[in-house]
Amino acid sequence: MPNYFQIWLASARYSITRTLMFRFDFFLWATVELLWMAVNLLLIAVIYEHTDSIAGWSKYQMLLLVGTSLLIQRFLMGFFWSSLFEMGRNIKSGAFDFFLAQPGNILFMASTRKLDLDGLLNSFVAMGVIAYSANQLGLQPSALNLFLYAAMIFCGLIIHYSMLVITISLAFWLTSAQGIEGSYFTLSEFSRLPRAAFKGLASVVFVWLLPVVVVSNAPAEILLRGFQPNWVLALLAATIAWFVAALVIFHRGLRRYASASS
Amino acid sequence: MFSASAKYYQSFLIGLQSNLVYRVNFAVRGFFSLFHLAVVFILWGAAYVGTPHIGGFSFEQTLTYFLVMLVMQFFVGAFNEDYQISEEIRSGLINQFILKPINYFSYRFSIFVAARLVSGALILIPLCLVLPFLHSYLTLPTDPWRYALVIPAMLLSAFIQFSIAYCFGMLTFWFLEIQGFVILSMAIESLLGGQMFPLDLLPVWILEIAKLLPFYYQTYFPTAILTGRIDLAATYQGFAIQLFWAVALLGLNTVLWRRGLRRHTAVGG
Repeated sequence: MPNYFQIWLASARYSITRTLMFRFDFFLWATVELLWMAVNLLLIAVIYEHTDSIAGWSKYQMLLLVGTSLLIQRFLMGFFWSSLFEMGRNIKSGAFDFFLAQPGNILFMASTRKLDLDGLLNSFVAMGVIAYSANQLGLQPSALNLFLYAAMIFCGLIIHYSMLVITISLAFWLTSAQGIEGSYFTLSEFSRLPRAAFKGLASVVFVWLLPVVVVSNAPAEILLRGFQPNWVLALLAATIAWFVAALVIFHRGLRRYASASS
Repeated sequence: MFSASAKYYQSFLIGLQSNLVYRVNFAVRGFFSLFHLAVVFILWGAAYVGTPHIGGFSFEQTLTYFLVMLVMQFFVGAFNEDYQISEEIRSGLINQFILKPINYFSYRFSIFVAARLVSGALILIPLCLVLPFLHSYLTLPTDPWRYALVIPAMLLSAFIQFSIAYCFGMLTFWFLEIQGFVILSMAIESLLGGQMFPLDLLPVWILEIAKLLPFYYQTYFPTAILTGRIDLAATYQGFAIQLFWAVALLGLNTVLWRRGLRRHTAVGG
């Protein structure tokens, strides 16, 4: 059995070397991500200039939620985005053969090939936003709650990864899946809203059917209000369900793959 | 012999046909815009609980603002014109325009107008679907001048939108990849173009600076006219600055095209 950690390390080394070769690209993309994060934070700042609460959440509680959502997204961008984005193109062009020929798990090989250091760098900015908000709120989470928060961020990353794998896997079926990854960004907008703001049909769709709201609200709730078993269980169940769904859909799609003509 | 208008009318017709081929893509994009509208509805709905007015406007007025903004984007916004221009430069397709008596800017602009007519018509479909749920929240002012002046404002906005996209396309003469620049500018445009929030919610001094920048005139200006967020005097003042930017961007693009062509190498025949 191949040592997957060593394979991942080799990919990471390759990505770092590549980044050092294209330094301007690295700075440009790091700035792009930073600016988009700033835009999202400014939206919150502007709304709270005119109101005190959004669904019962104060300004710094909202910043903590948005920071958490941005952190998960930065990890997704840093660890998986480039590889998965290329996977969609490779499925269309037939270059996906390259991954099928490798002696290892196909999904692992295809989704961990490239790291984006700009995304990982900006994850520190997101952590800064979370730490600043927690400080403003006077939060002093216990070591256990911090560990749980980190574990839930990890679960959130798996869910976002699974959603993206499912979206990209549609390329196995669709003839023109160009731009389909944009739908991921539209859905991720919901993860910056507090659970309490969702009512009626929106609550059913975005809280229970799609996990976008739970992904950010569950870890934020741990920091804000301490351990709550229902949030932890909801997130764990969603993580398992979405990861299994991603594996099933990816492998179903793989059966349809017919190299360059697919 | 083709007169100039007949020449670009033909490219407009071709643009209309080729964009109708992508009608499903535009419709899907329109459908996903409804999700964005849902985020707006949930977020601002929650912000308005306990406060009847934000920045002097009711929840209904704010929701109307975002809906009009969405429609504006489909009618006057640049979608992927920058990438199309970039691709034509990189692949050498522009060589044919250098050899023919056709102005590349006018050619691309006529295709852009065709594309916006198609995307504008297609956004009306998902809009009609959600209108029964939203119509009780919508409120537009009744001043006739707003409906008269929004048309020239939209035309100039479309010109500015296209000119900025064209400008980014021209960067291909100097850079291999323009995607980073485009997404960077999208962040600035979404903020200073009023897509994230109505610009009048900004502190006054930032708003005054924003008014001097071209992004304000991309979508916010016509949206603000139609939704009653600016008065007649501010509209006239806005037209003066909008016209300035339209001319300035046209000048900049002429310079970029000439300078860019000096760097361009056409290979083969």
